[in-house]
Amino acid sequence: MSRLEQQTFDRKITRRDLIKVFGASAVAATGIFGASNKAFAQSAAHVVILGGGVGGSTFAKYLRFADPDVKITIIEQYPEYITCLRSNDVLVGMHTLDELTFNLDTIRSKYNVNVIIDKVVGADFDKKTVRTQKGETVSYDKLVVSPGIDFVYDNIEGFNEQVADTTHPHAYKAGPQTLKLKQQLENLPQGGTAIVAPPQNPFRCPPGPYERISFFAEYLKKHNPTGKVIVLDPKDRFTKDIPFKKAWERLYGYRSDNSLIEWISGSDGGQVTRLDPKTNQVQAMVEDFQADLINIIPNQRAGKLAQMLDLADESGWCPINRHTFESMRHDEVYVLGDSTIADAMPKSGYAANSQAKVCAKAVADTLKGESPGRAIYSNVCYSLAGQNYGVSIAAIYEVRDGLIQPKGDSAGVSEITDKPAQPILEAVYQKNWHREFVKDVFS
Amino acid sequence: MNRTISISALCLSLITAGAQAAPQPMASGEAMAQQCAPCHGTNGQALTEAMPPLAGMDADTFERAMLAYRDGSRDAVIMDRVARGFTDEEIHAMAIWFEQQPFKPWQDTTLEEAYDASNAADKAMGGQQ
Ligand SMILES: Cc1cc2nc3c(=O)[nH]c(=O)nc-3n(C[C@H](O)[C@H](O)[C@H](O)COP(=O)(O)OP(=O)(O)OC[C@H]3O[C@@H](n4cnc5c(N)ncnc54)[C@H](O)[C@@H]3O)c2cc1C
Repeated sequence: MSRLEQQTFDRKITRRDLIKVFGASAVAATGIFGASNKAFAQSAAHVVILGGGVGGSTFAKYLRFADPDVKITIIEQYPEYITCLRSNDVLVGMHTLDELTFNLDTIRSKYNVNVIIDKVVGADFDKKTVRTQKGETVSYDKLVVSPGIDFVYDNIEGFNEQVADTTHPHAYKAGPQTLKLKQQLENLPQGGTAIVAPPQNPFRCPPGPYERISFFAEYLKKHNPTGKVIVLDPKDRFTKDIPFKKAWERLYGYRSDNSLIEWISGSDGGQVTRLDPKTNQVQAMVEDFQADLINIIPNQRAGKLAQMLDLADESGWCPINRHTFESMRHDEVYVLGDSTIADAMPKSGYAANSQAKVCAKAVADTLKGESPGRAIYSNVCYSLAGQNYGVSIAAIYEVRDGLIQPKGDSAGVSEITDKPAQPILEAVYQKNWHREFVKDVFS
Repeated sequence: MNRTISISALCLSLITAGAQAAPQPMASGEAMAQQCAPCHGTNGQALTEAMPPLAGMDADTFERAMLAYRDGSRDAVIMDRVARGFTDEEIHAMAIWFEQQPFKPWQDTTLEEAYDASNAADKAMGGQQ
């Protein structure tokens, strides 16, 4: 008997014994399983994952590591996934969208995962089924939801989804808007003004807007040295602000008379309240601005799917059990990534990947009737403040006093040093990180 | 991690299932090691990057490096921060786990090989994982 067969055999005994002890109804029933399930053991539980992005795809792979014969299905609405990671690079021609495009082929083939390309339109938590747009009903024993974020426009008059899709792309989801914003930067008249307005906390990829601002400045320095980036920020602080601002000083004359970047904080009236898409004017708390390019990144909340499935609370985000990422609102349902309330962990791809691994092991343990092990999480966000200048934030996390908190003395941002090697190495590592990260997620 | 459920382990889990199990003092070596993958590759098996592969690294080398990052005696860009998140015991468990992983690229590794390496790591830890 091969090891895999041996495990399958053992598992069958396990389940039969469970039925003997508890009765069949206590053992999770295996539901209707639409597509090719021949390879799966008949008795195996079925774990269904909604969303095959960073969280969902990592979860599928690591659940397979934790359990060789559980049935795994991903339902993802698009056949291809463009990573937001590195999509800022596309704006200045360091990457193409093609280079950031991935699919679930390896997840399907190497990890024996059933992939359904379809949009999820509903779920019945009592019957333990989900419904798709094409009319399929899929049953699950455990449901895992990793739907990313949804944008909220209602705090800025004149700005909405249609405006973002046409004249004023936020480009905070990689795709056609990214290319439109790239073109707008290239078309900026000499000496022109670009406005970037980051969102209010919490939002996906906290350093994302500031990396983008840096890239805009670097682009202007090269192609449009009398141009300027004005940052209208609703906040007074932002992630890695000390190393970012140091880099801006070193690279773009920040705080000098001819700085390429002017950052206006929330206290100084940075909150944008109105956009006039026709005249390219924005109204901020104390002043109006006229610009040639306006890039507003909207506020955010848990992905539409999480809202629809009643997994989010009044905060707009999904409360979870910190040890396992099981939903606090519905049993047998787990939520991962950007949509969740994960305390000190940021909404990053790294964090979604980290949570997916812990959750996968917890789900596998639970299905085996074992109690999940102790959770450990991590996050490292590398950003570029220039093509050869990296800044980072890192932490290991544990659950302490009921919250996810930095473990030991790990939390910290790049130290400001005079060693020229430090930011250069961080930029090298940043590229290393991206190459390996997408492999850990999708292959 | 023990993927082969024995009958006795099953009985044990049935007995403890109802009671609130006491939380383990630390995460398993595997759970911690998996957190390193975004930079060092799945199971530490990225062989062509600036960040070194961890798979197959001699456990002693791994431990000494982590301790030196943690106490600041080794120059670091980011590993000093990472190392400060782990205790001696945790570093040891990760070291044992990585030592058992095959030194080859993840894309050339089968799932069977990964399961075997994981079981070997369990054994090397004395089944304490
Ligand atoms: C500009 C930018 C730069 C970034 N850079 C970094 C970085 O350098 N490092 C980093 O760690 N993170 C970065 N991020 C953040 C990262 O992209 C997210 O944190 C990560 O993608 C979150 O993973 P997720 O699984 O929660 O959501 P996603 O990866 O967005 O996945 C959600 C998936 O669910 C699918 N879905 C949604 N609804 C449905 C439905 N109804 N039916 C079927 N499928 C559905 C979607 O199509 C999508 O594939 C960046 C983000 C941006 C915007």
